[in-house]
Amino acid sequence: MIELKDLSYVRMGTSDLEDAESFATRCLGLQIGEQSGKALYLRSDDRAHTLCYFEGDPGDQTVGFEVEDESTLDAAAATLDQLGHPVHAGTPTECALRKVKAFIGFKDPTGNQIELVVRPERSGKRYFATRDAGITGFSHVGLHTTNPARDEKFWTQVCNARVSDRIGDIALMRVNAIHHTIALAPGRGPGIHHVNHQVKSNDDVLRSYYHLSGQRVPIVFGPGRHPTSGARFLYFQGPDGMVFEYSIGVDEIEDEETHRPRQFGFEPSSLCMWGSKSARAR
Amino acid sequence: MNSPGQPSSQTSSIIQLCYVRLAVAQPQAAATFATDILGLEHVPNKLEPFLYRSDQRYHTLCLTAGTAKSSIGIEISGEAALDRVAKALTTDGFSAREATEEECGRRFVRRALIAQDASGNEIDLVLRPAQSGRRYFPSRDAGVTGLQSVGLRSRAMKDDLRLWTTILDAKVTDRVGEVTYLGIDQKHHRIVLYPSDKAGLLYVSYGVESMDAVMQNNYFVQERQLKIVQGPGREPTSGQIFLRFAGPEGYVFSYGYGLSDIGPQHRPRQFTLEASSLCEWGSECADVVELQPARVG
Repeated sequence: MIELKDLSYVRMGTSDLEDAESFATRCLGLQIGEQSGKALYLRSDDRAHTLCYFEGDPGDQTVGFEVEDESTLDAAAATLDQLGHPVHAGTPTECALRKVKAFIGFKDPTGNQIELVVRPERSGKRYFATRDAGITGFSHVGLHTTNPARDEKFWTQVCNARVSDRIGDIALMRVNAIHHTIALAPGRGPGIHHVNHQVKSNDDVLRSYYHLSGQRVPIVFGPGRHPTSGARFLYFQGPDGMVFEYSIGVDEIEDEETHRPRQFGFEPSSLCMWGSKSARAR
Repeated sequence: MNSPGQPSSQTSSIIQLCYVRLAVAQPQAAATFATDILGLEHVPNKLEPFLYRSDQRYHTLCLTAGTAKSSIGIEISGEAALDRVAKALTTDGFSAREATEEECGRRFVRRALIAQDASGNEIDLVLRPAQSGRRYFPSRDAGVTGLQSVGLRSRAMKDDLRLWTTILDAKVTDRVGEVTYLGIDQKHHRIVLYPSDKAGLLYVSYGVESMDAVMQNNYFVQERQLKIVQGPGREPTSGQIFLRFAGPEGYVFSYGYGLSDIGPQHRPRQFTLEASSLCEWGSECADVVELQPARVG
């Protein structure tokens, strides 16, 4: 079984790096960790980067997960290879671009680009936000799925993810105590459904709602509250249609042994207990 | 701020905000609002057909078709205190008269002094407002916990404040520009005076049990195409999360959660007159002049 320790980063291509920078700093509020002509590394916590925009195809999206060490990585490569997922071992140049010691790349059954990384870099300097959004860190991703049951099986049986709750057939899965690190979302093909950052307080969610509305950033869902994780949330749209989320108060699963996934109906009130409706197109 | 001659053991003469009597032209429409939107419980009563509960009290809202002016009810600690207040009001030139038995009946109190502040806001100073033996059973799950506060327009801030603080023992807890928050118990405020060019109720605020309730009501109100006047927002002065929305006949109602307690050490703070002093989240009010920092003061 492939033991995922934590989420590490998201890498996304963009046709307009300047636009992405403007959004990431002025709207999202992240700190620029490093900038080159072709890539922008953004920080959200004490990691050296958690989001990287690079010059390229906006459809080129990758999620990185951290694994324990290089032997774990080799074992994971063997497992994936055995299951028929072509595995790419990162070259030293590619590792440098990701600020990791080693990594492998593969695709999940839907075709999402996943990377498993070893020793992602942390930064000695503390995170200093560009705007006072109250971000405490990169926390989870939503991944598109063309077959929720199949993909749940992949993440929970090939990898170590556990289902925390389900909305219809959509699984919210954790790899540590946090309610979910991977949220599946029905989609026509592969891609990142949303990128979540945690903020400090309820106030931050609502402040950003007004701040971003004032900046004419499309609010696609919320302010609201998920009955599953208990988190108060706000979803808004960034460059190339990518959706970002701020949330606060994600439950922790206290007892790993006894937790049983709850089943919520596939209906709006399962996504928001306050009554906000998602405005995003499927 | 007790007047001379009062014993030092004298506690505040003012006990609580008990009710709002809302003057309406069309009580039936307002009644639908009270139950279907606000979520209050209708109290069947022969004297006042449009009577509503929000908590343990017999009523906190009465829709009155016969009167021209809305009024608020303030409970006074006892006969002696009410006599003293009556005298002080007259001495100070405020209009105040003893309510008739019939008027007391309609207010569900044992005795009342019907007073007016310098602006012309009607304030009932009452004794022994009725409680109910039965628990509150709301019309809908709005999470209402009780009548919490009112905003009043004032066109004579100095004189109105004299009434509230010198004659009635309310305490100034905070100010935003000249907007003045007044406390009468452990809560940050029960009355807020907003400088205006006229008198009248600015809003009637009902407390709700959680932030969830405020936000659920936000979407509930929006879905029914009612105008949100301001919010969801949060007052940096009182800490409360609020939603102000349009009620019947131009009245504004509000749900609030998280009104902070104040201790004996609290000193009134002065906040700058700007939008972030009225809402720290950034909500703004488009329609009510008194809630726009650029226009009040």
